[in-house]
Amino acid sequence: MRVTRGNLLESMREAFARLGGRLAAVILIFVVLGLASDVFLTQNNLLNVLRQAALLFLIASGLTLVILTAGLDLSVGANLGMSACLAASVLKATGSPFLGVLTGVASGLATGLANGLLVTALRIPPFIATYGMLWVLHGLSYYYMAGDTIYGFPPGFREIGSGYLFGLPVPIYLMFVFLAIGWLFLERTTWGQEVYAVGANPVAARLSGVPVRRRLVLVYTVSGGMAGLAALVYLARLNSAEADIGEPLLLPAIAAVLIGGASLFGGVGTLGGTLIGALILTLVLNGMNLLEVNANWQPLVTGAMVLIGVLLDMWTRRRAEEKS
Amino acid sequence: MKAKIKRTLQITMLAAALISAAPAAFGAGEKLAVFTKNNTNPFFQAVRLGADSAAKQMKVGLTQFVPTKPDSIPEQMSQMEDVIVKKPDAIVLVPVDYKAMVPGVEKLNAAGIPLVNIVDRSAGGKFVSYVGADDYVLGMVTARYLIKAMKGKGNVVIMEGVRGSLTSADRVRGFNAAIKEAPGVKLVASQPANFQRLQALQVMENLMQSHPAIDGVLAANDAMALGALEALDGAKRKALAVGINATKEGVDAIKAGRMLASGDYNGFVQGCLGTMIAVRTLRKQPVPKEVLLPAVVVDKTNYGPYDLPVDQRSCPKWEEMVKG
Repeated sequence: MRVTRGNLLESMREAFARLGGRLAAVILIFVVLGLASDVFLTQNNLLNVLRQAALLFLIASGLTLVILTAGLDLSVGANLGMSACLAASVLKATGSPFLGVLTGVASGLATGLANGLLVTALRIPPFIATYGMLWVLHGLSYYYMAGDTIYGFPPGFREIGSGYLFGLPVPIYLMFVFLAIGWLFLERTTWGQEVYAVGANPVAARLSGVPVRRRLVLVYTVSGGMAGLAALVYLARLNSAEADIGEPLLLPAIAAVLIGGASLFGGVGTLGGTLIGALILTLVLNGMNLLEVNANWQPLVTGAMVLIGVLLDMWTRRRAEEKS
Repeated sequence: MKAKIKRTLQITMLAAALISAAPAAFGAGEKLAVFTKNNTNPFFQAVRLGADSAAKQMKVGLTQFVPTKPDSIPEQMSQMEDVIVKKPDAIVLVPVDYKAMVPGVEKLNAAGIPLVNIVDRSAGGKFVSYVGADDYVLGMVTARYLIKAMKGKGNVVIMEGVRGSLTSADRVRGFNAAIKEAPGVKLVASQPANFQRLQALQVMENLMQSHPAIDGVLAANDAMALGALEALDGAKRKALAVGINATKEGVDAIKAGRMLASGDYNGFVQGCLGTMIAVRTLRKQPVPKEVLLPAVVVDKTNYGPYDLPVDQRSCPKWEEMVKG
């Protein structure tokens, strides 16, 4: 892997420019909620939103890499559930935060690697390979847990999810650290550029010497690893693991990536966009709770906000194109 | 933990597990089939263990049918069709949906298999008997307990379950009825958290922003009550919280003084009774047409029997249950 040269500031400016319309959507949500609720713009609430978005972003960030290659990882939720249950068992049995973290990440990576091999070595289409993996993992988790809940972890471990560092919740640091690492990887390394190339045109990528299969294995493994990491944040925040905790997180994670501007056809998308996607989804729930939207209306409001956000983005983009 | 290690070993012997996972052959004596909703909710695990315990006591063979996708209507429907071919002597049924499963129930009626309905009352079809409890009463009794502990005054929030689920709707209706009885208690927010721990945590975090004083939390299940308590802990705030189902985790939290109480109508006993009624019907012994179990609020004073892991309990005597 080589690190590419170039003006760092210039590429950051470019990255922001690409986010244009999505940032506008977030700003619009901020203005509306800021006017509608007198507590929305308080420091506490904003930290609250960032902390809530962190878990979703961690899952969605790995998934972004997969979607950039025109692939899909439907097993991230199930992987999170399974990794959480295994890490919880190890935490309970050994009391060691280190072993718990190791188990969670290792379990996530192992599942990711298996996905990567299913997609490359066995040439199973990503949707089917990871859909199959989803069921295998659900089955194993349900069987392993048999309806049980594992709870009560060491305080040291719980810092990952509920601790503070210099007044900011730890998950927020995790979110920005992985955003930075991911961004540098995608924008400033040859491997990262190759991930885009694989998604944009796999044949051209192969002909120009990109090791397509190895890059694919890499992105699925990373996606699995991030699910494992998110599982640890979940455990540390909630202090409890059940077999079915990952299921409700799959669709929001995919939605965060796509709202963030990535294309299912590959080659298009950024981690900054995914962060914005995660923020939009989190803000909608936050706003509905603050304004106490009736439960019956909540699904409709969520759907409408997502559609408005994406339409606003398309609209600003078209205007920018017309201008240039 | 021992059970976990045992299950881990079993998972490693996947081949053996796959064979044993196939529905076990009907044992000696009468052949019974038990249908429950899912593998994920500890409540139904308790129902199944109750049924197993009764089957052992009465020396009948018993096969469990659970949809692999939780609460799947088409899956339970095809399981019903499959079971008609196998022709068990009697069936104990928790319909995954009280309306949508009626055609399936009618098919079983047409096949002449005696049915006992437990937990959720089917909207149609013929049953020997119904065993269950009233979620509305359960919600009301649990909320009254909380209100009494709050000395009849303060602000409460409700964590609702899944929208459109009868269980959640009835419990929430019961909560509201109890709140209406207490003029000093104000319902400041009622928001859905879909029976999920993570969502309850986030909803509670959001609600705490707009409500500086929350004195009580009414959650439609234990997982949500515990999620809300994590949010309160994180903000260093205190409130009395009650849940429903009296899970092992909930009981531990009650013991530790974290959670106030949990309402329950004993899934284990429902499993026991349903199975015993089915067997007694086959043996031409008298059975009641309907058994409504009383709602119990499990608190610091009476958690004893719930403290025992469900898989170590055994069914109470028939006379005790039918009288009680």
